[in-house]
Amino acid sequence: MLGFVARRLGFAVVSVAAVVLVTFVLAHAAPGAPMLGAPERTFASPETIARQRALFGLDRPLPEQLLRYAANLARGQLGESFVLHRPVAAVLAEAVPNTLLLGGVALLASLLLGLAVGAAQAARHHSRTDTALGVATLVLYSVPVFWLGLVLLLVFGEQLHWLPVSGMTSALHDTLSPAGRVLDVARHLVLPAASLALVQAAAFARFQRSALVDTLGATHIRSARARGLPERAVLLRHALRGALAPTITLAGLSVPYFLSGSVLVESIFGWPGLGRVTYDAIFARDYNVITAVALVAGVLVALGNLLADVAVAVADPRVRLDR
Amino acid sequence: MSPWRLAARRFARNRPAVRGAGLVVLLALAALLAPWLTADPLAQPDPVRLQDRPPSLAHPLGTDPFSRDVLSRTLHGARVSLVVGTGAALLAVTLGAGMGLVAGLAGRRTDQLLMRGVDVAMALPRILLLLAVFAVWEDAPAAAVVVLIAATGWFQTSRIVRAAVLSLREAEFVVAARALGAPAPGIVRRHLLPHVAAPVIVSASLDVGNIILLEAGLSYLGLGVRPPTPTWGNMIMDGKDVLLTAPWVALAPGLALVVTVVAFNLAADGLRDALDPRMAA
Amino acid sequence: MVIATTGDADVLLPPVTALETGINVSDLLFCRLAELKLGLNTVDDSGFRPVLARSWDHPDSLTIVFHLDPRAHWQDGTPVTAADVAFTFRTYRDSAVNAPLAPFLAPIASVAVRDSLTVAFRFRRWYPEQLYDATYHMRILPRHLLDTIPAARLASAPFARAPVGDGPYRFVSWRAGAEISLAADTAFFLGRPGLDRLMWRVSPDLAGAVSQLLAGEADAMEVIPARGQLERVQQSRDVRLVPYPSPFYAAVVFNLRRPPFADRDVRRAIAMAVDRQTVVRSVFGPFADLAVGAVSPMQAIWSDSIRQLPYDTAAAARLLDQRGWRRGAAGGMRARGGTPLQFDLLVPTSSQSRQQAAVILQDELRRLGVDVRIRPVEFTVMERRTVTGDFDAAIVSRTTDPSPASLLQWWSPGAGANIGGYADGTFESLTAAALRARTRADAAPRWRRALERLNDEAPAVFLFSPRNEAAVSTRIADVTIRPDAWLATVTGWHVREPPRAASDRGAPGP
Repeated sequence: MLGFVARRLGFAVVSVAAVVLVTFVLAHAAPGAPMLGAPERTFASPETIARQRALFGLDRPLPEQLLRYAANLARGQLGESFVLHRPVAAVLAEAVPNTLLLGGVALLASLLLGLAVGAAQAARHHSRTDTALGVATLVLYSVPVFWLGLVLLLVFGEQLHWLPVSGMTSALHDTLSPAGRVLDVARHLVLPAASLALVQAAAFARFQRSALVDTLGATHIRSARARGLPERAVLLRHALRGALAPTITLAGLSVPYFLSGSVLVESIFGWPGLGRVTYDAIFARDYNVITAVALVAGVLVALGNLLADVAVAVADPRVRLDR
Repeated sequence: MSPWRLAARRFARNRPAVRGAGLVVLLALAALLAPWLTADPLAQPDPVRLQDRPPSLAHPLGTDPFSRDVLSRTLHGARVSLVVGTGAALLAVTLGAGMGLVAGLAGRRTDQLLMRGVDVAMALPRILLLLAVFAVWEDAPAAAVVVLIAATGWFQTSRIVRAAVLSLREAEFVVAARALGAPAPGIVRRHLLPHVAAPVIVSASLDVGNIILLEAGLSYLGLGVRPPTPTWGNMIMDGKDVLLTAPWVALAPGLALVVTVVAFNLAADGLRDALDPRMAA
Repeated sequence: MVIATTGDADVLLPPVTALETGINVSDLLFCRLAELKLGLNTVDDSGFRPVLARSWDHPDSLTIVFHLDPRAHWQDGTPVTAADVAFTFRTYRDSAVNAPLAPFLAPIASVAVRDSLTVAFRFRRWYPEQLYDATYHMRILPRHLLDTIPAARLASAPFARAPVGDGPYRFVSWRAGAEISLAADTAFFLGRPGLDRLMWRVSPDLAGAVSQLLAGEADAMEVIPARGQLERVQQSRDVRLVPYPSPFYAAVVFNLRRPPFADRDVRRAIAMAVDRQTVVRSVFGPFADLAVGAVSPMQAIWSDSIRQLPYDTAAAARLLDQRGWRRGAAGGMRARGGTPLQFDLLVPTSSQSRQQAAVILQDELRRLGVDVRIRPVEFTVMERRTVTGDFDAAIVSRTTDPSPASLLQWWSPGAGANIGGYADGTFESLTAAALRARTRADAAPRWRRALERLNDEAPAVFLFSPRNEAAVSTRIADVTIRPDAWLATVTGWHVREPPRAASDRGAPGP
């Protein structure tokens, strides 16, 4: 088992290195130069811009820039953001926890909701409830997450004024008690997390339903039923236990979805997280930030895949032998 | 009766699946005939007076902030979504199947190398790569979107195909066929492909919906196929600022997306149920 | 008072700050030697009021001596001295700092400390806007806190994210990407500001920012650029629109190095064929003014009686015929000697209004027989292409300074921002004469002649100036807005009723 994990970790490291390389080259090969300020607002002469590029070493040939970046990376330095004049590490240190919060809450909510709905559907296999829920999950699964976000914003934020429209905290945040602050962030979390969670919950529900329908037919389940156990106990004790490993696998494999969803959802709801930083950096050609984000995303995805693989290996020992 | 015929029967009995497939055909027809059915989606016949008009007889779905007909743009947007969705899915499974076949049939070392490569590639965050490439590509033609989405999404298929090929290699009839001197391509065609076809078809059909949503997300951010060519994603982008004053601009493409993806998913579910593994025996 | 903004600040250090919000915030933390009054008269001494400098005099034509106000002090208690002013000048001019405003300080030869409260600016030559250049571009920095930091590291120093200034407001906190908080400096030497607390909340989506405003989560926004959003605010009873002259104008700039734009008559024909009034009305409704030339409504030299080319499609057609650009057999597009009359028009995807204007332009020019292809490009790409001269025509938006001399940035030969390559001896001599005028009364007609020359030569089609509409909650009173910096007079704003929200009361402070 240990060997399996070690091999997987090895792949992860290579993957992340590949991610960084590819992103670095792509970002630098792009037309357009880093946006050094808002040029139509403050006048910056071409000389100023040229000097800025020289100061950041942007006029060097690409391989040289790559080597310098790699050397810095080995020393744990992620470089500086051209637009924000701060170390990229600081920018990420502020943004990543916010995205983890949003993604984590959304993942948890989608797992709970999705698995519950999937189980309910499997238990009432082919009933009217099953069909109705099936339709609901199918539709939700097919909705673009950014459109859902816009609709939720419109209905709950604008029309009904139930929930805040933008940001992670309100203007009064610092004057609130610790409990008040938690509640404040929670209120701001609802709409963006709901947008992400609803779609993924539908995906989990669909998977769970079909997985459970198969398991529920299995022999040991039938014998449990024959012993007279109530349906709910059968469901909880036997079937769901068998579904734990696949659930972890699903969760691990859903990391890319939450990352991409965060780019869309964070810009709609003004959530100050990694998605926003990525979007801004790409459009401003802030190379160091883009590459660092790729690094973080690569690590997160690799970890997610690792988790998924480990869960599969725990469930199915044959996989550990790995070819 | 051949397993394929059986599968077709099963599909036909699955009402939602049939409806989904029917809807897909309808959408494809509408998209194909769009230039003849509606006005030019890029036309701005009256840039002055036709901004953000609500639905009317002349413009059944209203007009957008650039005075263009929303119905026409929605129908034309279907072309991009359908082409990208089906094209990328097909290309992805072709790439994946090809790679899986090669890995499965090749010697151990080549197989190991290829699969390591696939593992590394699977860790690449798809959205970030696509974002980075399309942010710098000023006006990517739909073909480029198809190729790049396919290039970042074939890995799972290769694994499925490789697993199927590996398990079949040792199967008796294959060993027997080779012992008898049958040429390899024949074996591939006659025995391997049908076995592999089922999971590949299912995987591809399930992918289409996701790819359509992915392309919509990219064009919502202003990437990929850019305005003024209509895509459902960039129509939502245009309509986002007038969501309260002219909701039809963003609602029409949004609903179109949901309906289309639901249709593909229904059909895909039906295919999966019809082609379940028992058929491959 | 909570301000909704769509962009975060970059740094809060005047020489380096480039993003809008960063400039707005640091403007309230650091003071100038003297400020322009609301009239924006950059030529006469009477157009300025004392801030850090209590008074000044002109001992000779190349020198201005400033006498600092002894009451001015940094927020750590240290008094503001002449050494700070000299340090500031050195920092702005230091190429390692690479301040975008450094070129504007070129006319100043030296800044010398006479004593702790007296500093002398020496200029290379005489011109009437010396006082403007000496005061407008620099915000004075604290030498004692910054002189140990190497110039190249200034922008990334911790000070730049938690500054100590001498202005009416003190820095409190900055949550990156989310909000920036300032508190009134009760000991500010020119009087305590009316609002105890200012907070900028970042909402990247314009509609989201306006939603915050309408929901009462924010009290003010600098400008509402999109028409749809303006209409939303108009319907609200809690938020009112405060119009103020805008510092922008948008124009289609031709690249004179490319045929057919090298031909003045072609440019004039195109300018005359565009019904600019229609463009303005349909893109903006009532929310923009026709541009009268290379000038914005904020600038004192703006006047709607400046001579412009008329809207005359017949005359335009005749001009093109005369220059040999004739329609084809079926009355289609024009061509001369086999070359069709067409060009690519670059438009930034970031501006919906410019894109809309481009479409109308394309339509009108098509009727003239000119084939315009609209190329929406991303903003950074447009910047690069216009700066390197790789374009035919582009719709650009210019932000002007209060001084009319800013005209030269864009239309003087050799100026970095003269993207079209316009070079005209007559224009040069007209502007040189205007720069020599000793009073505003003398300067105005000379600038007007220069502007009219530009209109005649048509290196660009001057389209519109969007009206700046700030949105301010009805609970804020005494609102005045100086067009070049909307919060320049915020110290005079007050909350109308007794403070009921915690966001009004001053925070305990660091």
